[in-house]
Amino acid sequence: MATTTATVGITSADLTPGMALGISATTTLYQTGTTTGLELLDMGVGKLTQASGADALAEALGTADTSNYVYICNNSTDVEQFIKIGIHDTLIGNLGSGEWLFMPWNMGDADAEINIEAEASGTIPYEYAIFKSTFTLPAKT
Amino acid sequence: MATTNASITISSDITTNPITISKSMVMHKFKSNVGLEETTGLQAKKFAAQTAVVIVENTEGTAAKASKVYIRNTGTSNEDFFYVALNASAAAAATTETIGKLYGGDWMLFPWAATAATSHDITVAPSTTDAMTLEFMVFQE
Repeated sequence: MATTTATVGITSADLTPGMALGISATTTLYQTGTTTGLELLDMGVGKLTQASGADALAEALGTADTSNYVYICNNSTDVEQFIKIGIHDTLIGNLGSGEWLFMPWNMGDADAEINIEAEASGTIPYEYAIFKSTFTLPAKT
Repeated sequence: MATTNASITISSDITTNPITISKSMVMHKFKSNVGLEETTGLQAKKFAAQTAVVIVENTEGTAAKASKVYIRNTGTSNEDFFYVALNASAAAAATTETIGKLYGGDWMLFPWAATAATSHDITVAPSTTDAMTLEFMVFQE
């Protein structure tokens, strides 16, 4: 059984003056509702351009309503460049240059793809990793 | 200007050669190198019903501004979880958008597009009537 852990640290000495912030948390990623570690991984790097519009980073091809986790990082260093992150038709948020996200993704239904879209001109490099409970290969065309 | 740092480390032996992802970011204002200056503060809320509840209303953010949201299920259960969604409900398969499920110990940190509409309220729904606690914090311009 594989073991995958994700640790976050959030610190700030001056966001709340006189009350330094320090958050630290670690979780082990398990298959849906079990203590069995995830065993499926999709990871890679890519480049986005505004001209390409919204692209599906990952289709919801696994079993609906399962445990999956998504990491995405915008590796641009240009502050004008950001990546729109969405699930199907819903915009989740804008990932600025140098920023990352980590969130669960339950593939709520077949139309719950993770999509990404570059904003501003130029090319935006990104990296991602998706840890999955289930995955079904797309049908042959 | 405040400085808020967030780091992530993901370690996994899913692949034959174990992987480690390690990234840090400074939370900046939208398309800027200026740090975020506002926060809701770290909040904790106990739930003992399966009713969907809005934990962050869209009006707490500002459209076209940067916001980041940290949420963690402080429990230890591998069976019970919170659905996290954008919208007024948080169901597994919904016409509104469920993001995913946070089991005990799971956390998420994601950019949030506060679009000044209830479609972007951050909503959670426990999977059980057993008591569970969420902690959450919003960082924003």
